[in-house]
Formats: sequence, structure tokens, C-alpha cells
Amino acid sequence: MDNLKTNAEVTWCPGCGNFGIFTALRNAIPKLEAKGINRKDIVITAGIGCHAKIFDYLNLSGLYGLHGRNSSNAEGIKLANPDLKVITFSGDGNGLGEGLAHTIFAAKRNQDITMILHNNGVYALTTGQFSPLTDQGWKGPTTPGGSFEDPFNAISLLIEVGATFVARTYAGDIKHLTETIVKAIEHEGFSFIEVLQPAMPYHKWEEYKDKIEFLDKEPVSKEDALNVARNSHRFMLGVFHQASKKAYHKGLYGDHNPITKRLSKSTRLEKIRKILESK
Amino acid sequence: MVHDVFTFLVGGKAGEGVKKAGSVAAHIFSSMGRQVFQMDDYMSLIRGGHNFSVVSTSSSGITSQYMKANLVVNFDKRSCDTHDNDIADGGIVIFNSDEQDNVDGIGISLSSEAEKYPMKKLMYGVGAVAILSSTIGMSIDQMNQNIKNQYPRGIEDNIKFADSIYDMVKKGCQNKYPLERGNKERPIITGNDAISLGAIAGGLDTYFGYPMTPASSILHFLARQAKNFGLAVVHAESELAVINMAIGAAFAGAKSMVGTSGGGFALMTEGISLAGITETPILCVLSMRPGPATGVPTYTEQADLNFALSAGHGDFLRIVASPGTVEEAYYLTAEMIDLVWKFQTPGILLTEKHLSESSMTIDLDIDRAKWAEPKMHNGGEYKRYKDMDDGISPMLFPPSNEVIKWNSYEHDEIGITTESADVIAKMHNKRNKKLNALIEHLKTQNTINIIRGEHPTNIFTYGSTYMSVLEAINYGIINPTIVQPIYLSPLPVWELEEFKNQDNIVIEQSITGQFASLLKEKAGLNIRKVIRRYDGRPFDPIELSIKIKEELE
Repeated sequence: MDNLKTNAEVTWCPGCGNFGIFTALRNAIPKLEAKGINRKDIVITAGIGCHAKIFDYLNLSGLYGLHGRNSSNAEGIKLANPDLKVITFSGDGNGLGEGLAHTIFAAKRNQDITMILHNNGVYALTTGQFSPLTDQGWKGPTTPGGSFEDPFNAISLLIEVGATFVARTYAGDIKHLTETIVKAIEHEGFSFIEVLQPAMPYHKWEEYKDKIEFLDKEPVSKEDALNVARNSHRFMLGVFHQASKKAYHKGLYGDHNPITKRLSKSTRLEKIRKILESK
Repeated sequence: MVHDVFTFLVGGKAGEGVKKAGSVAAHIFSSMGRQVFQMDDYMSLIRGGHNFSVVSTSSSGITSQYMKANLVVNFDKRSCDTHDNDIADGGIVIFNSDEQDNVDGIGISLSSEAEKYPMKKLMYGVGAVAILSSTIGMSIDQMNQNIKNQYPRGIEDNIKFADSIYDMVKKGCQNKYPLERGNKERPIITGNDAISLGAIAGGLDTYFGYPMTPASSILHFLARQAKNFGLAVVHAESELAVINMAIGAAFAGAKSMVGTSGGGFALMTEGISLAGITETPILCVLSMRPGPATGVPTYTEQADLNFALSAGHGDFLRIVASPGTVEEAYYLTAEMIDLVWKFQTPGILLTEKHLSESSMTIDLDIDRAKWAEPKMHNGGEYKRYKDMDDGISPMLFPPSNEVIKWNSYEHDEIGITTESADVIAKMHNKRNKKLNALIEHLKTQNTINIIRGEHPTNIFTYGSTYMSVLEAINYGIINPTIVQPIYLSPLPVWELEEFKNQDNIVIEQSITGQFASLLKEKAGLNIRKVIRRYDGRPFDPIELSIKIKEELE
């Protein structure tokens, strides 16, 4: 687990929920390795925000992208080389604000990538503005009178648009978080994990601890999952939805791999010659 | 060399087979060993409106359409009105007598003849091919064979219809323009075909796009060829997704390209900047149409030059180059893929609707295409952004036992985020060194085309306007020196030194003269006059030759 840490200075606030996610990730990698997934095949991308600092801290290869575009980076990596296991880290503002379209389309396509959404319910790094998942009434610098928009329900939204593994977990429960991450990465298709995590200057762990509950059982159908997601409170944890569906890259080119099965220059030129003969 | 140009123009509503008739005409000419240039002028709609296709051919080289046609076929009244001035001296005009009467030319009852068949108006194009066949003295059997090959749907009806039209125009058209054969049969491709093929030849693995005229046909071509060449070709949800997917693919080691026009490119600039700091090799095709904003989607302009030169926030190296001909588009696309991988920075292949969508006969040496090979790390401790003398850090791709980190934040050599003043300056210096390395490399390459003339005035032009200028010079029998920089950033100033204080004129398709400004600013050129066109149409060689002559006198 230790060589999964870089030498970068960790700059999350003391007590931040991101530490839980960082720990769970480092727990999950050896478990995945035990299941036959090579560490060198795991690649990460991140957007911009407090969540994304994990990119610098995790000693894994990857691309630290732009605000909201990390899932597009992840899709590109997967489509270029489908042998890679791609994890994309996102914040609630990053993935459901600036990057909403990309998140939804990655799910719609059932891209075989895992999105870990660090939900702290606030734009922490930019000093506390309300996010797409913030409850009404938030008094931040952009909503001095209290926010009056309803938040998204990330779980029902992602089930609706086509994600084939959708779960909610909590940065204060490392065991559940680790297990969920392992399941999500093993799942073939778009996996979405919403992780509840307090951001220290804005929240207290106490706001979460007493409210956390677990699903009695995993819903069996998409309809059932949507019902449960819509009608349960936002501290309800567990796997809401799992389905088996062809991943995007398989639909695009079957068992091909554009990088490892790249055609040589001479084969390409021969084919170009043929095309020109028909023009 | 004989410059025996013959021009065929066919016009009508969208959905009547106008473009197809132009393409069949082009293939008839090329099968005679002649060279061809075909330009399609169409509106941004699916049915109706007015479209036309103009095909000029010569038994020697030809690089432009002529807007004075020897044979004009109008399917409707609007076409007659539009092309009233597009008839060459002694040219033949065919009109649809079912739609109008009392115009100069030969009226044929095109509508009532087509009404006899189930395909009706869809057959007008076949009629135009029959008229052309008669005019150039082609036998009815040969025509029928062409129609059979080119219109595989409803062959019998098409032939019957064509034969009746062929008979109808016999009196006025038969063998009026017999054409000499040329020296060899050549393929006909569009600029976008050439860009697509050049990219494949240069090593393309993945292409991402969002439909936008006039770049869409690259996406269409590559989607059709994806399986044949083992490519991943993706129509994504927006240009934001497109550029970021392509950057992800490049991180994995895939040669990636994206394509769009001005509006889509505006969205991509965020990603171009990301490619700058992450040092991502990525090639973006920017095919210009008249702007600003939505502008005029299906027409041509060269007004995004400044935008391309400064695309993306921050200081970083952008390589911008523009092909002057369809053939050059093939070689240059492969070369640009090689360059962006050599120098690990974004490149922009700047072109226009006029090159993207016009078709011409080509003589292509396909083996001449470059093949992209990045400088790879070979053993030892790996640092993604290792500082080197030329600023170019060796590459590695996952899966690897080494950790490979690409970072949009300013970063240290490993790729970890930094805010250290020393490291920020050091990384700026590292990336900036690539410019000198690139210039040294380009000095050994062909970065400019110069055609030496006897007249003391030099004409500067770039992109597809080069083809218009070449044809104008050829037509007008004038001989200034023509200079066409292929590279616009870095501009090959080392090649331009000799022209500095000579008499220079610039020809471009921008109202503000962006290319002229670039030449003044970067190369210190003295420019006497800028000939501009900015109505969405490419230059006509006859009109342009008159303008050039006025300036040379």
C-alpha cells in the first residue's frame, strides 16, 4: 500500500473526507491485484477541484485534465487501448456541473470506466459556493440569501442515463468504500460511485454519521433501482443498480485494440492504393 | 502546353442529383485522361433552394473551377436566373422548358420527360449527363455504359431517360465541344479525402469529431474506413468532448486527430491549451468557412488564421500549416502528425471549404507520406517532463512499470503539481526550447512553395487560394513569382528574407487581410496591395487574372 503514495505534499484540510477515499483506493489496488488485475494496467484521470489532488498523491499513471473534462480523457484512453482499466475522479461540481454532459454521455455509451464522484456538496477549493448536489438554503459567496435550486439526485440520474453499476458509499466507512471501489472496477461497463465526504471548513462528520443507512437489499431491475434511488434519502448507501450490457468499445470495434493491433505503414499504404484505384 | 479548358455547370434544387451529375461529369473527363477540378456550391438545407456543381477540365493541369461555363444545364428558373452571367462566349445553355419559356438557349421538356418514370426529379442529373455526353461527342453506347456504372439504381429507366434526352439535344449540342484526350487516367478525390488518407498514412489510430461543415466529411470518410484500417472513429457529444478524448487517446499512445470548423474550434481551444501544458501530440484540422459565429456554413473564407495562430490561453508552441493543393493536403497531414509527435505539442492543419470539399484529379506518390515515431524512453528512471537540451522529453505509454503522469497544472519533471517559482520558470523554459528545435528541423524541410517568375512583382498567398492563383496565372499568361508558405507558425522567415524589400502583393480571402498582416509582422515584408475576396466564394481565375494584371502593370 505504501508505494502507492508519491512524495507530493498532501494539502487537503486536516480531517477532510478525501483522506478516506485516498486510503480506500490504496486498499483497493492490492485487492484488485489479488484478483489478477495488474497495477500497471490501471490508469487514472481527474478533473479540477479538491477531489483531483488525489492525482498527485497516488503513485499511478494518468492524466490530470481540465475542470469537468476528466471523463472524456478517460473515454479516450479506454478507446485507444481497451486493455487499460481507467478510473476517473470527479467532484460534484466538476462532474455534474462543468462536466455534466460528458458524465452523462460516458454513462449513456456504457464506457468501460469507473467514475468516483467525491460528493462534498460544495465548491470547496473555490471557497464554498453551492454545487449541483447542494441542498436548498446554502449560504455561499454566490448565494448570500441561500441557494434556492433543488439539487440533482446523482444516483437516479446516472441510473436513468445508462450507467450499469451505480452505488453510493461514504468516506467515513473505509471498508464499504474499498469494497465498492473493487466491485466497480471489476464491473465491465460504466461504473458510478457517489462518495459522501465532508469538506472540513464547510461540514462536520457529525452531519453524516447519524444519518448513514444501508440498503436492505440490492434492487433487481432498473425500474426498481430508480424507485429506490428516488424515494430514499441521500445518506442511503449501497449498490443501487447493476446490469450487464455491451461496453462501448466492444460495439465500436469488437475485440480490436487500435494501439496493440495497429496496422503497419506498408499495410496501410497498400490499402490506400486500393482506395485510390476505385476513385 | 495546351490549356484547353472546358467547363460544365449544372444547377437545380437540392435533391435533384446536381452534385452527382457534377461528379459523373468529372469521372467522364478523367476517364479521357484529362485533369479535372470540381466545385460544389450548395446551400445549408436538405431539399429545395439552389445548388450547382461546376466542373472544369483541361488536357493539362487544372487547379480551379471557371465561372464561365461552355455548357450550362439549368433544371429550373432559379438556376437560369442565377447563372445568367456564368456562360462563356459561344457557350450552350440548356433550360427546362416545362418551367419557363422565352430565354436564350435550348429548351427541353425535362420535367414532363422525367414524370414518365417513378424516380421523377431524381433523374434530372442523369439528363444533365446525357446533355454533356452529346455535347462532347460521346457515342450513345458509351454514355449508356457510363450511366450503368454510375447510377446503379434503376438502370433501365435511367438509360431510357438518358437516351431520350440525348436525342432531344442532338440538334443544338451534338459534338459542339469535342475534347482531346489527356495523358493518363487519374483518381479524383476531395481535399478532405486527402487529409483523411494522409492521416492514415502518417499513423492515425483514433479520430474524434462532432459534425460541422466543412469538416464533417473527414469524420464520415474515416468512420467508413475505420474497420478497414483498424481505427477507432468516434462521433462524440461536443467538440469539448472531442478534444479531451483525443488527448486521452494520445496519453495512451494513439496517434489522434480531430476536425472541425471555426465554431467547434472555439470550443476546442480549452483543450488545445491543455495539450500545450501536458505536451500532448494532437492534430486538429480546422476547415474554415465564413464567420463570425455560425456565419455561412457551406461557403469558404480564410478569416480564422489569427484565431488558429493564437488558439488556447497561455504561452506554448502551436504548429500551424496550410496545404495549398489537394495533393499537398495528403503529404502535409502525414507530416503534421509526425511533427506533433516529434515535438509533443498541438498542431493545426488550417484549410478551407474550398479545399475540403472540392474534388480534383491527383498524381499522388503515396509512399512519400511521413510516419510518426515519437522519441521513446529507453530504460532508467522515468520522468515524463525530463528537461532536455531541445526541450523534448522521451515518451512512455501505459501499461508500464514506470509511473507516467501528464498534468494540466504546472508541474515538476515527474508531472506532479507545483507552485514553486523556480519550477514554473524552469518548465516554461523547457517547453519554450522546443520552438528553436522545431525551427532547426523545419529549416531542413520544404516549408514553402516558390514558383519563380520573370516579372519583378511577387504574389504571396496560402491555402486553397494558391490553387486559384495558379490557375489565374496560367489563364492570364502572366509570370510573377508566386510564394506560398505552407507553414504559418512558425512562419519560415528564413525563406522570406530575399523578398523583404521587393514589390509584393498578397491574395487572400479575408476582409482584414490577416495573412498580409502576418507577413508584415513576422517577416517584415513590404506589401503594396492586398487582393481580397470575402463573399464566401472562391476566386474565379479569369476575374483574378484581370486583377493581378492591373497590379502588375
